Amino acid sequence: MIYLFFAIWLIVAAGTFFARSRRTVHIMCGLYIATHLAFLIKLFLGGDYLSTSGEFFTFDEAGALFYVLLAIVSTYVIIHSVEYLKDDKIENYRTYFALLLLLITAITGVYFANNIAVTWILLETTTLCGAGILYHRHSKDTLEATWKYLFVCSTGIAIAYLGILLLCAAASNGSLRYDDIATMLANGDPLYLKAAFLLILTGYSCKMEIFPLYTIGIDANFAAPAPAAGLISTGLVNAGFLAIFRVYKLFAHTAVFEWVQNVMLIIGILSLCVGALFLRRTNNYKRFLSYSTVENMGIAAIGLGIGGIGIWAALFHVVCHTFIKSSMFLQIAVIRQIYNGYRINRLGDYININKVGAIGIIVGMVTVLAFPPSPLFISELMILTEIFTGGDWWLAIAMTLLLCIVIYSICYRLIKLCYQPNQDELHTSNINRRLSYSAISLLILAIILGFWQPAPLKALIDTIVTL
Amino acid sequence: MLLALIILYVITLINLALVERFRKYASIITIQGWLLLGIALLRLHSLDWLELSFIVLETLIFKAIIVPHILMSVIKKTKINRVKTSGTSQFNALILSFVALIVSAITTYLVADSSIHMLFFGVAMYALLSGLILIVLRSRIFTHMVGFLIIENGVFLFSMAIGVEMPMLINAAIMLDILMSVLMLSLFMTKVDDKIHTDDSDSLTHVKD
Repeated sequence: MIYLFFAIWLIVAAGTFFARSRRTVHIMCGLYIATHLAFLIKLFLGGDYLSTSGEFFTFDEAGALFYVLLAIVSTYVIIHSVEYLKDDKIENYRTYFALLLLLITAITGVYFANNIAVTWILLETTTLCGAGILYHRHSKDTLEATWKYLFVCSTGIAIAYLGILLLCAAASNGSLRYDDIATMLANGDPLYLKAAFLLILTGYSCKMEIFPLYTIGIDANFAAPAPAAGLISTGLVNAGFLAIFRVYKLFAHTAVFEWVQNVMLIIGILSLCVGALFLRRTNNYKRFLSYSTVENMGIAAIGLGIGGIGIWAALFHVVCHTFIKSSMFLQIAVIRQIYNGYRINRLGDYININKVGAIGIIVGMVTVLAFPPSPLFISELMILTEIFTGGDWWLAIAMTLLLCIVIYSICYRLIKLCYQPNQDELHTSNINRRLSYSAISLLILAIILGFWQPAPLKALIDTIVTL
Repeated sequence: MLLALIILYVITLINLALVERFRKYASIITIQGWLLLGIALLRLHSLDWLELSFIVLETLIFKAIIVPHILMSVIKKTKINRVKTSGTSQFNALILSFVALIVSAITTYLVADSSIHMLFFGVAMYALLSGLILIVLRSRIFTHMVGFLIIENGVFLFSMAIGVEMPMLINAAIMLDILMSVLMLSLFMTKVDDKIHTDDSDSLTHVKD
């Protein structure tokens, strides 16, 4: 089934690339969204859920959960992009959408891949599509960001490949399916396993936007048009998270699992540290939101590191972060249309310029900071509870201190946007409140999850986190 | 024969620390391409002929011919011939390269067992470290590109160590490796130099906080 859909998505992307008018691009995008809807229906109502498609893809619980999130977010991103890029030349316009559709397709593949090599191949494919999107503006800055993105991602992915080879050597059964590797790893050489995990984690960190290769995600979000940055910061980050999570699960029954968890803890704390410090330092709202992603993925890594209920919390955190962060990036896209820039020290008075957008930003701020009724409050509370239960006081103190810095930085800078006097030129004719409302609807979804977690979602996460 | 080719490969990596001219870098990449071709032929001869010819042809066409050709074109186009004189000296680079060689040898000794071809692992690790050293020590973007190609070649070499049982891995790696290398080289040739007029990675520091 999935190959048929891949073929359709590729044809639609090709059709978009050769479109001669904006109308054709819009029709192609509409068709693309419709095929994803059809895919969802076939997946859940057509009996394909939990089945294997072809040799390399399985519609398992984790893949299905993240795919639903991707389908929702990418629909918003496509619709917002239409408005965001309305003044672009048709050549750039169609290339952007073609690459965006390809990126979504590649991410879908990453979610459902049941083979470690296929996951790796598709993650590398996202680098190719992402690079094209980054270079959309054709400026010196975007060229620099694209060059760095290609260079660092390729090097990172090459390092991850070395790790995969080591892992396969440790499993020594010739198969690259996650299930087969898992059964063979229990007796693997601990030194191989440790080296393999470190290499894979380092390589994939460029996609999940965690320490050490987080910088490239920041540059990517900075260079990409804001709606696409929303997809990169959620859909693509989730792909990195899932790739690491699948490898993490492979290690669950090995002798080195405790060591793996310690590595995740260190990486998580370092990511949180980087996020907290740079949230204060940057002067660009897109980079600012990207550092918030680093911080949140750091929290998810800490959840995986402490284990127990922390794993559940980590997954729930990533799910809810998807709605919140995509909403905030879409709000930032509206801000860009009004101010024609992202400079933190110059933009202001947003509450009087676009009240709906400002409310979206403030509510987004409250939810991303994990204040109740934010769903992130639940996940962070669970993680902290697990830390206290385990008696890791140093971790609890470090995490709390860093979260305090995060809270101060985010509040200070987003409140400035709404209330400080504006110093930049305004383009008030570009205010589109429908887009602000639309972005808020994603936040509402997140807040609903804060109040009420549906039983099927809980059961789904329970199944996914079972090691 | 296989051992001889691998020793030659190690010599090219040591030589990497000694050269400063870009043409020499391009020559090293060319030689490595041909050595990898030889290693692939000897190491993977038991594969199905279709898979073997796919790997061999790709290695020959891209690693031994096209990538070196693009590198030479970049040198001609940018008219930059050597690394910056203000950078790290050859002596220091050589010392670092030897340290990397010793670290690789010790690590290989520690992790070696029957499931991984020891020599391949050690050389691949040395290639990885050599590439990283090159990227860190030299400031010109061209040398960074060469560093990336050295890393890719090292990973390719390692994939051959366990690739006899898993040819799909090798195919996938080559395909993407080539695609990325060609894309990056093309981007360098057509965009970076034209737009930024840079020969120095210090010029690529505008995107930051």
